[in-house]
Amino acid sequence: MKSLDFHNEFEKIINRDYFSKKIQPIRKNAFDKFSEFGLPNKKLEDWRFTNLNHFLKSSYVLSESKHSEPLKLDLTKFEIPNTSTIVFINGHFKKELSDKIDNVRLLSGIDYLESKNWSLQNPSDCPFELLNTSFMDSGMSIVLEEGQNPEKPIRFLFIASAKEELMISPKIHIDCSLNSSLTFIEHQVGYSDNFFMNSSINCFLDENSSLHHIKIQSDSPKAVNINRVHVKQNKDSQYTFFSLALDSQLSRLDIKNDLNGEGADCSINGLSLSTQNEQLGSHILTNHFSPNCSSSQNFKNILHGKSSGIFNGKTVVHQNAQKTDSKQSNKNLILSNNAIMNSNPQLEIYADDVKCAHGSTTGSLDKDAIFYLRSRGLSFMNAQKLLMEGFAVELFDVIKNESIKTFIIQKFEKWLSEKT
Amino acid sequence: MLSIKDLHAEIDQKSILKGINLEIKPGEMHAIMGRNGSGKSTLSNVITGRENYSATKGSLELNNESILDWTPEKRSLEGIFMSFQYPVVIPGVNNTYFLKAALNAKRKYFGEKELDSAGFLKVIKENLKELDMDMKFLQRPVNQGFSGGEKKRNEILQMLTLEPKLAILDETDSGLDIDALKIIAEGVNNYRSPDRSFLVITHYQRLLKYIKPDFIHVLIDGKIVKSGGKELALELEEKGYNWLDS
Repeated sequence: MKSLDFHNEFEKIINRDYFSKKIQPIRKNAFDKFSEFGLPNKKLEDWRFTNLNHFLKSSYVLSESKHSEPLKLDLTKFEIPNTSTIVFINGHFKKELSDKIDNVRLLSGIDYLESKNWSLQNPSDCPFELLNTSFMDSGMSIVLEEGQNPEKPIRFLFIASAKEELMISPKIHIDCSLNSSLTFIEHQVGYSDNFFMNSSINCFLDENSSLHHIKIQSDSPKAVNINRVHVKQNKDSQYTFFSLALDSQLSRLDIKNDLNGEGADCSINGLSLSTQNEQLGSHILTNHFSPNCSSSQNFKNILHGKSSGIFNGKTVVHQNAQKTDSKQSNKNLILSNNAIMNSNPQLEIYADDVKCAHGSTTGSLDKDAIFYLRSRGLSFMNAQKLLMEGFAVELFDVIKNESIKTFIIQKFEKWLSEKT
Repeated sequence: MLSIKDLHAEIDQKSILKGINLEIKPGEMHAIMGRNGSGKSTLSNVITGRENYSATKGSLELNNESILDWTPEKRSLEGIFMSFQYPVVIPGVNNTYFLKAALNAKRKYFGEKELDSAGFLKVIKENLKELDMDMKFLQRPVNQGFSGGEKKRNEILQMLTLEPKLAILDETDSGLDIDALKIIAEGVNNYRSPDRSFLVITHYQRLLKYIKPDFIHVLIDGKIVKSGGKELALELEEKGYNWLDS
């Protein structure tokens, strides 16, 4: 889908009467900017390794209300015990399939914008963020009151299931007030052949609040996922992110953390697993704006077939941010001669009293270790499996909720047994 | 038990073993001594089936069956065990998990019921006691952060757990202090039985003070140049290897 092709779809969304008229200037403003800049290309440093060919060749259309009924659906497959789930089918909120969540303020996109006087919280000139703002048609926002601590994790389950090549643009806000805490799961499932998920998640963590954000993505092999997470953190707040990315033709995740208040901490983690020709990219930017903050980035890829992976991790320690403690690690296993990994850990430091570590390794499975395990009677397959488990397992420790952890480990084990 | 006849082997097309003959009967303990580079480790790698070590001539049989075509895991399951000179660190893989997987692979191979955690723990606790090892060893990833002595003890723990017919101890004494050496030697000695055989590979005769082989062979340039009883070790200690050079 080329930049120009979006005009038709934009006409459609602007004429949809069920969206408030007040949202139109926001859309128009974003779309004008998008039309001016166009889609990113490989000449831009940040997009150098992202191959948009498949995206450019596809023709995505808006998800209409007729798409709110799925082609097929078996929710039991995605059950995570002890979580409250909100279901979106092709971007449409499905009340009848969702759990009722009491005592937590959940707002539609429009209601949220209204509560903010129709101003965008994180305006950005990133072309895909501009597209998201132009077409925002899905999602929901969570607003936690002071000290609120919902007992169960809240999960947004996005199911793509349609014949058409749909474009879905959720805009989600999660606002955690003073001393509140939440576990939020963003779960994407794709039954459709080809679709374009372009989500924008915006989190605000006020003083001493904490947010555990888990993202699970398992889509069809032709899906395009271009997702952004922008987190702003105040004093002593804590943000933990874990992503499990499987399948999809193109999956690009951009996470930006602004550590604005002293003592804020963020831990950004991900495991990306490929099977054939996926492109799995993680682009992480952590901004240390205040003193005494800590951050870590820890991403791992296991690549098969002709797939490719990107780790583009950057930590910027600004002048004010003395006593910063930051870590960056990217480790990758390449299990085929045709898979490619681009790893680019970066540090920019403008303060003089900081502790920053970073490292990156890419390689195949350790032959000596395989022989060692085989010499103890394990088959070649089981030896490989055990080493891959050992490679990934430390990442799962950041998931504190046991039922989510079990669900994710099961997904990983399933992938593993299909791959070995 | 193990019968090696005129075995030639090479690695990366470089000939290392040049006609080894060795017969190990059940219950016997043999020691192979030799300088660095004489082919000692190549011999153990060929017996255990390591990749890139290829036998070019001769035979290698376990209980009258040629094992040259067997995978490393089949050799292990059929009863060959090697205590590694340099045990491999396996990050992220818990020692218990690994040992249990190995033991159950063996039980499965022989059609026995796989052990559950409780059953496994019972087996392992006894073996840990034998080697004066702490339970906390089990919770750590395989060999990660282990001292030299701990790694070697972990090897012997695996041996006791997997109950091999033929155990190869490859430079098990290297990196051990005298206390650790004694404990390991005791573990090995207690483990000797009429149906188990040992092949001890060592550079020095230090280990042979604590475990007593029945036969000693001296390996020089890929060939056994001299064989004898325990007394040969002392002679080597005294005279070095040079008097055996041709």
